[in-house]
Amino acid sequence: MDRTLSSLPVSEHVARASWWRRAAAWVDLHGRREGWLAFILMRVTGIGLVFYLFLHLTVLSTLARGRQAWDAFIALARSPLFVAFDAVLIFGMLYHGLNGLRVILLGLGVGSRRQAVLFWGAFVLSIVLTAVAVRMILMMG
Amino acid sequence: MRTLNLRIVRGGPGRPATYQTYQVSVDEHLNILDAVQKVWATQDPTLLFRHACHHASCGLCGVRVNGRERLMCLTPIAEFPEGATVTLEPLRNFPWVGDLVVDVKPLMDRMAAIQAPYVRKDELTAGSEEGTRFEDCIECGLCMSACPVVGSDSAYLGPSPLAMIKRLLEEPRGRDIQSLCALAGDAHGAWRCHSVMECVEVCPSNVDPSQAIGWLRRYLILRGRRQLAGAERR
Amino acid sequence: MWIWQALSGILLTVLLVVHMVANHFVVEGGLRTYEDVIHYLSNPFIFALETAFLIVVTSHALMGVRAIILDLGISPAADRRLKAVLVALGAVIVAYAVWLTGSVVLRA
Repeated sequence: MDRTLSSLPVSEHVARASWWRRAAAWVDLHGRREGWLAFILMRVTGIGLVFYLFLHLTVLSTLARGRQAWDAFIALARSPLFVAFDAVLIFGMLYHGLNGLRVILLGLGVGSRRQAVLFWGAFVLSIVLTAVAVRMILMMG
Repeated sequence: MRTLNLRIVRGGPGRPATYQTYQVSVDEHLNILDAVQKVWATQDPTLLFRHACHHASCGLCGVRVNGRERLMCLTPIAEFPEGATVTLEPLRNFPWVGDLVVDVKPLMDRMAAIQAPYVRKDELTAGSEEGTRFEDCIECGLCMSACPVVGSDSAYLGPSPLAMIKRLLEEPRGRDIQSLCALAGDAHGAWRCHSVMECVEVCPSNVDPSQAIGWLRRYLILRGRRQLAGAERR
Repeated sequence: MWIWQALSGILLTVLLVVHMVANHFVVEGGLRTYEDVIHYLSNPFIFALETAFLIVVTSHALMGVRAIILDLGISPAADRRLKAVLVALGAVIVAYAVWLTGSVVLRA
């Protein structure tokens, strides 16, 4: 792929590196703290949610295949393993959303000195709300 | 006196990176830079490292101390207990020259593209306000090393160059605002930042690049709206 | 693009909460039966709301994908190709989902 970028100065050694070597820069946790953790969790939940969007739309195609197919899916959705999947999904959505609000604030230059506190706030709130949601699912099912 | 084990990366391009540990005793009121200098002077004159001023104004002695970007001259010996092992590694995201030295060309290229000045008090012209002088940035490159996006996007301007653009737009003094906005507004400019915030945490000089990037975004948004409004009026 | 990602993100937090409440919280047992889904989607207001959610979530997701790929430092030409592919993909996803829900509702 053509990697020459006009107008901006380019770090030659980065441009020469393979794409996976460059992507490895995102997951180098050595000597990094909350801000990096917030970023990598954001990226992982984001990629996860894109896959979930595809999965969700694929699963909904059972609607087109009629009542039996749908009922079979609903039965599957009530299994304990599925509730565990729900928990991961709900945490992903909550964290991505709450940290998203943090990133919007920080990205506009608001609260950069409070970023670590904001991260822990978003993280803990996501866990608490996930626990609440899982409890609701278990009580409903 | 305090005795530390300095575990230092040795090697360079074409030579494999290895860790070499030096035991060194220094006064606990000194800094890691002094310990490294003592190693160089008394044990191993082949050790490569950069430094000049010893008081955080030259920005040359940036390395990673136990993984974290620090200036060696601002890392007190007293931070580490007697006998501790302290790992010293070169900065990330720059070409490696050897041992603790990296080539800071990528940062200097960016500053040159911005035509960054050294704004001194005696250069302040009549009518211009003093403001926050951007010599706050010592161009040490710690933020460029701490930022994961600098490591993956070869064209990303990076934290300190963007903070420099903000400083110039704040007080343009006849600068070409158009081209500064073009640099900052590029997809690999201010919008590429993901608020990883490590730049703010490692900056030894209180520049707060993240806050500057937010300022640039607000500036670009408002400028875009003004231009849109201007175009409609015409 | 950052600004659209931020705005669609804010919009999504609202729409996602509506989506979750409408589809799971107010429903007895948390999951809808087949008839219930069709009845739910037959409401034109709900259909419009879910379609809006679909469009916003798809664009937010694909802009996120572009952001990740841009982080790898691609050329302006490659970025243009990438944008074309993602817009086409987004159109296919939205068309598929609208066709799916629309056909289910019409068949009932």
